[in-house]
Amino acid sequence: MVSIRLDKVTKRFGKVVAVNNVDLEIEDGKLYVLLGPSGGGKTTTLYLIAGIYKPTSGRIYFNEKDVTDLTPAERNVGLVFQNYALYPHMKVYDNIAFPLRLRKEPKSKIDSKVHEVAKFLRIENLLDRYPHQLSGGQQQRVALARALVKEPSVLLLDEPLSNLDALLRVYIRAELKRMQQDLGITSVYVTHDQSEALAIADKIVVINKGVIQQEGTPEQIYENPRNVFVATFIGNPPMNIVKGTVLEDGTIETTGSRLTPPPAVLEKIKRLKLKNILMAFRPENAVVSEHPIEGRFSPMGDLFEVEPLGRDAVVTVTVGEFVIKVVMPTREAMQLRIGSKVYVNIDPSTIKYFDPNTELNLEYIEA
Amino acid sequence: MKIRKTSLLFFLGPALFVVALFYIIPLFLSVYISFTPMVDWNVNRYLTQFVGLQNYERLFHIVMYDPDMRAVIMTTVVFVLVTLVINVFGGLLLALATYFMDEKMSAAYQGLWLLPRMTPIAVYSLLWYYFFHSSGIGVLNSILLKLHLINHPIALGLDPKYLPWGAWFIIIFVNGLVGVSYGMIIFYSAFKSIPRELIIAARVDGASTTRIIRHILLPLTKWHFTFVTVWQMFSLLMTYAQTFLLVEWRVVDSTWGQTWALYVFRTAFTTTKDQGLAAAASTFLSIIGIILGIIALKALGYEKMILEPKGDI
Repeated sequence: MVSIRLDKVTKRFGKVVAVNNVDLEIEDGKLYVLLGPSGGGKTTTLYLIAGIYKPTSGRIYFNEKDVTDLTPAERNVGLVFQNYALYPHMKVYDNIAFPLRLRKEPKSKIDSKVHEVAKFLRIENLLDRYPHQLSGGQQQRVALARALVKEPSVLLLDEPLSNLDALLRVYIRAELKRMQQDLGITSVYVTHDQSEALAIADKIVVINKGVIQQEGTPEQIYENPRNVFVATFIGNPPMNIVKGTVLEDGTIETTGSRLTPPPAVLEKIKRLKLKNILMAFRPENAVVSEHPIEGRFSPMGDLFEVEPLGRDAVVTVTVGEFVIKVVMPTREAMQLRIGSKVYVNIDPSTIKYFDPNTELNLEYIEA
Repeated sequence: MKIRKTSLLFFLGPALFVVALFYIIPLFLSVYISFTPMVDWNVNRYLTQFVGLQNYERLFHIVMYDPDMRAVIMTTVVFVLVTLVINVFGGLLLALATYFMDEKMSAAYQGLWLLPRMTPIAVYSLLWYYFFHSSGIGVLNSILLKLHLINHPIALGLDPKYLPWGAWFIIIFVNGLVGVSYGMIIFYSAFKSIPRELIIAARVDGASTTRIIRHILLPLTKWHFTFVTVWQMFSLLMTYAQTFLLVEWRVVDSTWGQTWALYVFRTAFTTTKDQGLAAAASTFLSIIGIILGIIALKALGYEKMILEPKGDI
C-alpha cells in the first residue's frame, strides 16, 4: 500500500540535465507507464524512484515518508531489467533466494517463499537450472520472481518486454497486466513502445527531454494529446499534422481548402492572436476517396502509396507540402489508383488545434 | 582448396617463422645441449658429443649435496609462492579499489601502478639499487638513519645477520611491485565487462559492497583468476632480469638472492659457463613448470570452465 510522490526532482549528469524539475504522483496500486523516446529521461526517473540515483535536487516520498536518502534495499523496491540481469553463476532458485538471503531470513522461510513465488509465476520446474539454460520468456519470469519474492512496496519494470520476440511480447504483456492487478502492487513501467503503454497502463506519463509532456489515462493521451510531441509520438501511425492560415473571416485555409473551426477554438485563436495554426487528426479519423464527402473537411492531394495490412491499409497522400497517412479498410483502399488526385475526408469534430509557437493543444490553454 | 592453403601460409607464415625461430628452435636446442658436455660455448668441440644423462646426474648430485643449491631451491620456492600471492591478491585488491573509484581517479591510479612495468628493466633495477644500497647513500638507509632507527648503514640483502630474509625481501618486493599491475589490468577489465545491471540488481536486492564483491564480482571472474595465477606462476618461475642486476650490482646476496632461473642463466653465462649443466637445469625447470601448471589448472577447475553449457537455449 504505497503511493509515490516526486517533488521538483532534478537529476544532472555533469552538464546534461536528464530529469528536469519533475513533479509526479503515482497512486497506490496503479500501473504507471513512463513513455518516451530513448534518452528522454524515463529510465533515469525510474532509477531515481528505485534509489539507484540520488536526485540533484528535489525530494521523493513513499506515502508521506521521505525516502530521498534511503538505499534501494531500504525502500524495498523490486526491479526488473530489460536484459533481466539474472546472476549467471547462480541457479534459478538461488537467484530468487538471493534478496532473502541478504536479509538473513531463516532457511525454511526462504524456501517456502521461493516456492510460492515460483508457483505463482509457473517456473517451479526450472528452479535447478542456470539462467543460460532458459528461454527469454522464462528468464523474464525468473527476473520477475526475484523482484516479487521480496514482497516489495513498489514494482519497477525497465523495458521488461523489449528483449522478447514480438509474438511472445503480446502474451506476456497481458500476463503482466493481470498479475499487477491481482497483486494490487504499485508499479512503474518504463517503455519506448507506445502501443505497449496504451495496452497495459492505468496511467501514462509521457517524458521527453527530461520533462513530463503529459500525464493521463491511455484514452486521454490518445484522444487529446497535450502538445505536438505527444500527438506525433503516440499512435501507429501517429497523428497527422497540417499547418493552416487563419483568415480574417474566422476560417482556416490550408492547401487550397477551407475549414470553419468550432466557436470555442475560434475564440482562443482570436485571444491568442494566432495567424497560423497546426491541425492534427488521427489516421483512422479520415477516409481517402476520389470525391469529397459531404460534412467532412476534404483537402485534395496525390495518392502516394497504399500499404495493405490485412483488414486495414495505410494510405499515404501528399497534400501540398504535407504527407498524410490514413488508415482505412483495405477493400476500399485498393480501389484507389496510385498517383491519382484524391480527397482526404477528415471528420472535423476529431481535429485538434495547436498553437504553432508553443506547440500546445488549444484545449489545454486556460480560457 | 589449394588457394586457401597458400593464403593460409601467406598470412600465418611470418608469425610461425618468428615463433619457430625464437621459441621452438631454442627449446629443442636447449634440450639438446643438455645431453652434451658443452662448456665455454665451445660449439665446435662439444656440439656433436653425446653424454646421455650425465648432466642430469650432475645436477642431481649438486642438488643432493651442495648447500648453495639448496639455498637456490628454497629461494625459488619462497620467491615464487610469496610473490605469486602478492601479485594475484595485490592485483585483485587494486582492481577492486579502482573499480569502485570514479573513472578519472581510477585511470590515474592505474597509471601510477603501471609505471614499474613501463620503465626499462635496467632503469627500474637501478632505482632499487639506489634505494637498497648498503652505504649511507641508499635511500632506505638514509631514511632509517634520519629516523634514528639505526646507527650505521645496513646491508639488508648482503649482511649474513639478515640472510636469507633480507635478500628474499628485496627480490620479492622488487618483482612484486612489477607484477601486481598485470593482475590489476586483467581483473579490472574483467569486472568492467560484467553488465552494470547485475551490480545494480544486487544493490536493489540489498547487497553491500563486500557482498557484491563476494557474490557477484569474484564468482564471475573465476576464469580470470585462474589465468592470472597460472600465468604469473610461469613468469615468476622463469624471471631473472631484475634479480640478476641486483645480484650483479651487489645489492642482494648471490646465494640467497638466486632463484633457479637465475642459477641457469649464471651457470650458462657468468659463473662456471657450464652450458650443458645449465641446459639440464633449465629443462628440469620447464618440466616442473608444466607439472605445476597442470596441477594449478586442475585445482582451479579449468576443465569445468571450458565445458559447453548443457540444456536448451
